Amino acid sequence: MAQGPRPARLSDRQIGILFVVPFLVTSVVFMGYPVAQAIRMAFYSINPLRPGQNTFVGLDNFYFLFDDALFWQSFYQATVWTLSSIFLQTVMGVSLALLLHVPLRGISVFRGLLLFPYIVPTVVIALIWRWMFNPEIGIVNHSLMSFGLIEENIYWLSTPTMAMVSTVMLNVWKYTPFVIICVLAKLQTIPLELYDAAKVDGAGTLRRFLDITLPQLKEVLIVVVIFRTIWTFNKFEEIYLLTKGGPGTSTFNLAIYSFEQSIANLRMGVGAATAVVMMVVLFLGSVLYLRVFKFAEEEEV
Amino acid sequence: MNGFLQSNFIDHVRKAALYLTLLVVTFFICFPLLWALSTSLKPTTEIFATPPTLIPDNYSLEQYESLIYGKDMYFVPGVKYRPKTSPPQYFLSWFMNSIIVTLGSTLISVTVSTLAAYSLTRFRYWGRQFIPYFSLLGYMVPSIIFIFPLFLVMANLGLTNNLWSLVLGYVSITLPFCMWLMWAFFRGIPIELEEAALIDGASRLRVFVEIVLPLAMPGIIAAFIFSTIVAWNDYLFARIFMNSIQKLTLTVGVMHFFEGMHVNWGLMMASAVMMTLPLAVLFMVVQRHLVAGFGAGAVKG
Repeated sequence: MAQGPRPARLSDRQIGILFVVPFLVTSVVFMGYPVAQAIRMAFYSINPLRPGQNTFVGLDNFYFLFDDALFWQSFYQATVWTLSSIFLQTVMGVSLALLLHVPLRGISVFRGLLLFPYIVPTVVIALIWRWMFNPEIGIVNHSLMSFGLIEENIYWLSTPTMAMVSTVMLNVWKYTPFVIICVLAKLQTIPLELYDAAKVDGAGTLRRFLDITLPQLKEVLIVVVIFRTIWTFNKFEEIYLLTKGGPGTSTFNLAIYSFEQSIANLRMGVGAATAVVMMVVLFLGSVLYLRVFKFAEEEEV
Repeated sequence: MNGFLQSNFIDHVRKAALYLTLLVVTFFICFPLLWALSTSLKPTTEIFATPPTLIPDNYSLEQYESLIYGKDMYFVPGVKYRPKTSPPQYFLSWFMNSIIVTLGSTLISVTVSTLAAYSLTRFRYWGRQFIPYFSLLGYMVPSIIFIFPLFLVMANLGLTNNLWSLVLGYVSITLPFCMWLMWAFFRGIPIELEEAALIDGASRLRVFVEIVLPLAMPGIIAAFIFSTIVAWNDYLFARIFMNSIQKLTLTVGVMHFFEGMHVNWGLMMASAVMMTLPLAVLFMVVQRHLVAGFGAGAVKG
């Protein structure tokens, strides 16, 4: 036997299987099972204070949702919140990425500083926002007033419109760096020859951006916009920590609606049904989005 | 000659304009953090001064001292009203808890995902094609959806109000993306090197440790950073899973400061700085890898 005896050794294939088992177990126990359970809960009436008395109610939780004006209000507000955040993030993210792509001395310092907000904990931003946007003693109102831009204090967090504006600002501030990171990574892979060729052809800066940069960025932007839409639509902490959904219910989104139904109203079934609606909406949204872009590509060809 | 000078001049103006734009943008984006830092370093009397000072007239560590050692008449989290006592402050235990759960969950998540990704890219068995995509799907699911069923899982395991529940909870939300990232990374590492070593008679484990792991380091670092940020910043899990005041993490603990008689902004900003500091240090050390890693993971996907 040239190979020698190896009774205690695992075979190569066994090692391969052994490597993937911890991942599968963890995923199933702490992710797959809870998600499946969340879907199941949507069809039950569950009061967390009376465990063991769950009753199957079929689609009742969903009927409850669709009859609830607050559900639709939350849906509408979530949409407004998501669309305005994503629009601002994408525009700002692409512009800043282009700015940070310019080869200048010391640009990496600026890069670091502009990417930093992405890693700042949401709790920290919420604390800082509450302090800066405080109507009486906050720096924002003070500055606006001393520059003569406003006459009287703006109640940033306690009037419905301004509360929405504040949460959008928080979200845009925190997540624009994500767009920058992705766009910047892609920009660095665009071959410079493309630009040189266009320069020879006499294309101006704007033309070069529209004809070369933007088509190259299309793929990244699709991915980024889908990811960001999915996450923003379902965001809980950003809004909850800043306004708790208030004043009143004016900054509720579906995540907060679901949380409040489960915790405050003790209707865990309704909360779970909301979660199912969130999953369905986002799944459909991303499928649709990919379809639209597939069609556009095929037409071009 | 004249033309050369002119273009040189235009070039300088262009550069100056770019730097100016960068400076203004960076100032506005970094302002919230600067303002928090500035507030936290002021004595209480200066915090409310008009006009407010961005650079403090007097520096003081007063806010940090009361954060760590406590101070008379300060609000005690969890106790409604307790005048004229010197309450114990929980800040340091919260800080330690945050560090423990962040490191614990990150180590587990990165190890498990690295092993699994290696197995999925190097061995052939049923499911190896769709597991990574399934995993990415898991990453899209927001934690608000399965937090309550996950809480029940933890309760069944007897882990509620135990830091292990947070460690495992964070593993459940970071594992899918770490897995996706490592999978994308391993696919890019040529298999020939390992095959050569295997044919030469090296064992699979030795090949994995000595050849594959060093090549995968950039991916591992990116997964490490991602996982650290998510775990350190989380609010929801700690809010639902923990119920005794000493066992909270920083994010949930600090939000308790808002429940007092009056809001102590200096204390608040000091804790904001303390919560951001560890991430800031990490960020400075590994900034380059962050961009590279997200390029590999988020953009290729």
